Amino acid sequence: MSIEANSRVELLQGTLDLLILRTLLLGRAHGHAIAKHIQRTSEDLLQVETGSLYPALHRLEARGWIAADWELSERGKRAKYYRLTIKGRKQLQAEHAKWDTFSRAMGLVLNPLNREEA
Amino acid sequence: MNQILRKLGWMTRRSRKEAELRDELQFHLQEEAEQSEAAGLPAEQAKRAARRELGNVALLMEDTRATWGWIWLERFWQDLRYSARMLRKNPGFALAAILSLALGIGANTAIFSLLNAVLFRPLPVADPQQLVQFTNTIPLWETGSGIARDLYAYPQLERFQAQSKTLSGIFGWTGLGRINVGSHGTSGIAQGNASSDNFFSVLGVRPRYGRFFSAGEDRAGASVAVIGDRYWRTRFGADPSIIGGAITVNQVPFTVIGITPPEFSGISVGGSPDIWVPLHALDLLKPDSKRWKEPFSSAWMQIAGRLRPAISRQQAQAELDVIHRQFLAQQLPISQFSGLETVQRFVYEGHLVLRPAATGMSSGLRDSYALPLKLLMLVAGIVLLVACANLANLLLARASNRRREFAVRLALGASRGRLVRQFLTESIVLALAGGLLATPMAWWGSLALVRMIFAGDSRAPLSVDPDWRIFAFTAAVSLLTGILFGLAPALCSTRADPGPVMKEGTPGAGRSPHTLDRTLVVAQVALSVVLITGAGLFLRTLQKLWSVNVGYDREHVLMLSVDAELAGYPSDRAGSVYREILRRLQVLPGVKSASASIVRPVDDQFYLLDKVNEIDGRRLPERDVIHVAWNATSPGYFSTVSTAVVSGRDFELRDNETAPKVVIVNESLAKSAFPNQDPLGHRLGLATIVGVVKDSLYSGARDQPRPLLYHPLFQHGPDQEYRWGFVSFELRYGSLSNLSAEVRREVASVDPNLPVFDTKTLVAQTEESLMEVRLLATLSSFFGALALLLACVGFYGLMAYAVARRTAEIGIRLALGARRDHIMWLVLSETLWLTLAGIAAGVPLAWCAAQFAKSLLFGIGTADPLTIAATVAILIGVAALAGCIPARRALRVDPMTALRYE
Repeated sequence: MSIEANSRVELLQGTLDLLILRTLLLGRAHGHAIAKHIQRTSEDLLQVETGSLYPALHRLEARGWIAADWELSERGKRAKYYRLTIKGRKQLQAEHAKWDTFSRAMGLVLNPLNREEA
Repeated sequence: MNQILRKLGWMTRRSRKEAELRDELQFHLQEEAEQSEAAGLPAEQAKRAARRELGNVALLMEDTRATWGWIWLERFWQDLRYSARMLRKNPGFALAAILSLALGIGANTAIFSLLNAVLFRPLPVADPQQLVQFTNTIPLWETGSGIARDLYAYPQLERFQAQSKTLSGIFGWTGLGRINVGSHGTSGIAQGNASSDNFFSVLGVRPRYGRFFSAGEDRAGASVAVIGDRYWRTRFGADPSIIGGAITVNQVPFTVIGITPPEFSGISVGGSPDIWVPLHALDLLKPDSKRWKEPFSSAWMQIAGRLRPAISRQQAQAELDVIHRQFLAQQLPISQFSGLETVQRFVYEGHLVLRPAATGMSSGLRDSYALPLKLLMLVAGIVLLVACANLANLLLARASNRRREFAVRLALGASRGRLVRQFLTESIVLALAGGLLATPMAWWGSLALVRMIFAGDSRAPLSVDPDWRIFAFTAAVSLLTGILFGLAPALCSTRADPGPVMKEGTPGAGRSPHTLDRTLVVAQVALSVVLITGAGLFLRTLQKLWSVNVGYDREHVLMLSVDAELAGYPSDRAGSVYREILRRLQVLPGVKSASASIVRPVDDQFYLLDKVNEIDGRRLPERDVIHVAWNATSPGYFSTVSTAVVSGRDFELRDNETAPKVVIVNESLAKSAFPNQDPLGHRLGLATIVGVVKDSLYSGARDQPRPLLYHPLFQHGPDQEYRWGFVSFELRYGSLSNLSAEVRREVASVDPNLPVFDTKTLVAQTEESLMEVRLLATLSSFFGALALLLACVGFYGLMAYAVARRTAEIGIRLALGARRDHIMWLVLSETLWLTLAGIAAGVPLAWCAAQFAKSLLFGIGTADPLTIAATVAILIGVAALAGCIPARRALRVDPMTALRYE
């Protein structure tokens, strides 16, 4: 399966949480910055829908994995900044490990001939 | 729980969160727009692009809100608002439902408040579950088995304290009864208590002010006093400077050292002492040489202790029983009573038993009211069930008018669970509203009950203040009630298959769920039968108790008590005070005759027991000793209370301290001491029998005639002391008006310091002695009537509905020439059959319930035919009445209208 350079992929169910947590590992950020960061680092392959970003942020906050504070942005506006909690850090490790296993397993099944390269 | 709280917290912060979310999204928009602008887009376009990128804002906000986790709360809120709307649309129904529920729940809560105060509430002390009370068994000749009592001799307390390793502390106490407390020249009656000095420390009670007894303070000459919080407020105006101040108890000076905390009011239900003094203060108040040393003939104190951690009651009992028995076995050989077989049996066959005391020490109030209150709880519970059945039927009828609505909703895809939940929300809202209204009603009701139980006693020693138990009870009962009357109609009316219901033309014309509404009415009748039978049994018991021949005439006798000892008279001078009072009372206008005695004809204070072990100088073998009750009376007692003197004479004034000793016996005693002889002139002990009187029932209407010995009051004096302090005066009057005021004046004119108390007529005193049965008779009659009324409403509703449903049928019958009485019978017969079914179910049920009340009944069995017959008659009558109105409506059906109606 080949992917064209500027086409975008739909996010798999549940992966947005992992991406948000991973992004916040670098430091606190507001919602817009998180979305842009994911977009940038995935070389624009992953487009975060705003319609699912904010419910996800609030869900993670309710679970205590991230916390939020109102602070001033670089341009001096009030923005809600999210940061990773200790609980969230543990969750990230667990999810990350799970994802690695999953993607390896997917790779093995989809590309059985390239086993050595993988 | 935590989660619920968190969600509730969110509810209140909801609006703030909403605003924040809006701000957050706004910031996102601006950020997006600015970045696009920076990338070169025109401002307007950048803004629009940002908006587009954000998508459906309402949906986004909805999705976000869902993560806050109040979806179920919002649904609940919806159901709640829906219920409120439904109830508002039908205020008559809502009002009737809430009122009947409030009545039912309120009655249950009121009775439970009392039950809680009398039986369940733990003592307000540290770790009450560790407390145990000492009791011991005494083997009896008569029954062969032992009775348990809780009295011990002082040397036993010392022995337990010295040797027990299983208890961390052991204390003893005794009631002082009425005491006269003087302060700054005023005096007043109070309840006193004497206890060992570790009493408060073992209980773990801290003083509110001052201090409690210190270790070693309970010794000869101890004259310190601790004052109870309530007495401190009522008598001393809550003045903390009373500490260190001087008061007098029975004219003996004491120093106040501390005040108890407000929640502590003694350690047994119904006994809340006003003043505590150390045990050895007893020597200042009532010297008694036997008190501290004698192990057998002077058991006067109660003992309790606290288990050490990890020690069970059984372990402690095993240890203490050994100490108890060893002590008695050591004392027996050196005792003057060593030859008595009863004492030997007590020593060798008696045992110590520990009783759990977390809810308080043994209490007469608890003993006499535990069963009546439990029965009342049952009665109140049944009333609530009847009310539930009624409401269930009302809801059912209402629901059948809404069957179409439900069918539509089910057809449109509403889940049955959601409909049932909505139904239940409605009934629970009703029940909770009822419970809310019930709370003040219950509070008022329980106070009224306490006032009734302690008739005339202003310092009712029982607090029914609501505590968490009572609130939990009300909440639980309300919730349960709501589910109980809501569930059946909810399940029943949502079972409908939408198809046929929607095909029916008119709403409400559908088939009613026949069996359920009829079953409910039959159940109502059956439960009413139980209540009315119960009321009948208690009313009959009361009537039997009043009609017993007690051996004296209750009418027109006023009684009052005077205590010279409390006014500081030594016992040798008390006699002359009483004689003077009696002389003045006898000549009062309106008084036909007056007398004095220690025990009243009906007495709630005490009774006196003795043994006759010597007849005409001949000592009786121990097993033939005659157990007698006794009294000491003044001349004129028998004529005042109208007990006939059968032979010989009444006491006279010449039977005084210096005259030869005389006694009067009743017929029972004459018969058992002198079978087939004339007892006059014979001697019992040292006293000569001068008269024989008719038997009278010594301890109330339930008593049997028993041997009774009368001593002359004014001869009884000097050597035996007025150990019981007060004397009761009886006045046979012509008219009661103003008499008690005149009597007080006369007593005051002898000495204004003489306390006068318990002024009441013999009839009133008898009423008080029958309080438990009166309480049961009154309340079960009230509740029975209530249940009957509810059942009546249920019947009426059912039959009215049935008639409405059958209007067309009745119309056709009438058109075809059916006779009117036949139509009437058509309706009434159904009522009658249902009633008979209810009675058939209720009578055995009532009989079962009556088994619990057996020990309270008097003169009738649990299956009293008269009571049952009356119950059946009442129920059939009432049901016929309830069925009559719909039946008459059936008769008025106009055939033409009825036929057009279809």
